[in-house]
Amino acid sequence: MARKAFLIDMSRCIACRACQVGCKQWNKLDPEATVNRGCYENPPQLTPQLYNQMQFIEQDNGDQLRWLYLNKRCMHCADAGCIKVCPSAGALYHTPEGLVGFNQDKCIECNYCVNGCPFDVPRYDARKKVTKCHACIDRIANGMLPACVKACPTQTLRFGDRDSLIAEAKAAGKKVYGENDLKGLGAVYILEDSPETYKLPAKPAIPASIFLWKDVVKPFGILGFWGAVGAALLHYVTFGPKKLENGEDHDTPEKGA
Amino acid sequence: MSKYVERFNVVERVLHWFMVVAFFLLVFTGLGLFAHTFYGYFNFFGGPHQAMLIHKWAGLMFFTSSLLLAFSHLKDLFTFDADDVLWIKKCGGYLSKGHEDIPQGKFNCGQKLFGIFSLAATFIMGITGFILWFAEGFARGAVQASLLLHSLFFVLFVLAAIVHIYLTTLGNPGTISSMLYGNVTKGWAKMHAIKWYRKVEKG
Ligand code: SF4
Ligand code: SF4
Ligand code: SF4
Repeated sequence: MARKAFLIDMSRCIACRACQVGCKQWNKLDPEATVNRGCYENPPQLTPQLYNQMQFIEQDNGDQLRWLYLNKRCMHCADAGCIKVCPSAGALYHTPEGLVGFNQDKCIECNYCVNGCPFDVPRYDARKKVTKCHACIDRIANGMLPACVKACPTQTLRFGDRDSLIAEAKAAGKKVYGENDLKGLGAVYILEDSPETYKLPAKPAIPASIFLWKDVVKPFGILGFWGAVGAALLHYVTFGPKKLENGEDHDTPEKGA
Repeated sequence: MSKYVERFNVVERVLHWFMVVAFFLLVFTGLGLFAHTFYGYFNFFGGPHQAMLIHKWAGLMFFTSSLLLAFSHLKDLFTFDADDVLWIKKCGGYLSKGHEDIPQGKFNCGQKLFGIFSLAATFIMGITGFILWFAEGFARGAVQASLLLHSLFFVLFVLAAIVHIYLTTLGNPGTISSMLYGNVTKGWAKMHAIKWYRKVEKG
């Protein structure tokens, strides 16, 4: 099936937060009490009750304030750190459209995905189960747009065929963030400044520790296990056990031949 | 005159077998978290939740008994001399048939290195395990490093354990009785730990 994706054009965004509200409404997520931090950004980060969040980047240029907005959410990576690190197959999974869903019934509450995601997206809810943006798989399956996309009044958020959305953005002369990173993100962005300005990694990658564990330590372990067992057996039949010279002294009746 | 000498007292033996039971519980409950391949092992423990609970308590049991055992041998473990260099040069005599004369104390050089590794690995597994147990309270960097170290030292510990099990059973007949009954024969002591034997004989 052709990959589907979000195209998120931050240059169109007016930070109305309809997406935040639309998502909360569709997913029946509880409101949360927050504090005034002297900033419109609220809540300050993704929470178990907030699957997408408007970030406000404020730049003070003398007498002018520059505002940049970012709609932060799960990137629906093709090479997803959360899926790679999750021990319970099916707790996090790729849909045929290449989006990343989760199944709380299979989540074993290990917390690994929370730390395996390059974008710090998954959150634990009160039941210690994984939560994050699931791309409204339920709506898509019924031919509807994701709730946040539907709610967005400025077409900042769009959803559809990944290739054509990217082709369209490029034809309009825009630079696309996430086209090829992690084998292609399922949420690609048009940004107004460098990714770092938006606190996004310029070259997103699965955390080195997770890569080393799954792609180096694990094969080394499986090889090493059979290697060690094999070496012991080999030693036994070649150099042989260190038998006591004085046979009578022996107290293990089943000593080697 | 008895043909046996005492090698491990009852406390040391009990601690050791506590460690063994905890070690195997840890390995088999932990494998399901280590890689997808072993996810099915959780079923032996009544599902992932129960397995993870057992893993945590077995971890505490291993940590405690391992430290107590190591501390009771601390002096023996960390004393090295010229004979240990010889042991290393001759690979403990394991790469030749028959017996090689390498005078050793209560523990030979390999056993000391294994003991020190085991002590260090116990600390690393204990600390990283604690961080993973309460991951929500720690920074992402600390949890990520713990995931890597916990898996790396898991593998190293299993490899070391395979060598340890082979050398104390099949590889060196007569050794296991020290852990089962506390005694070894005098012949064993003379052959494997002559410097220790002389000390014991002198009383
Ligand atoms: S952004 Fe994070 S949670 Fe979303 S798919 Fe990628 S790794 Fe998984
Ligand atoms: S917390 Fe749940 S979803 Fe996340 S890695 Fe663990 S089992 Fe998988
Ligand atoms: S796609 Fe659905 S779950 Fe994801 S942020 Fe939008 S509304 Fe929320």
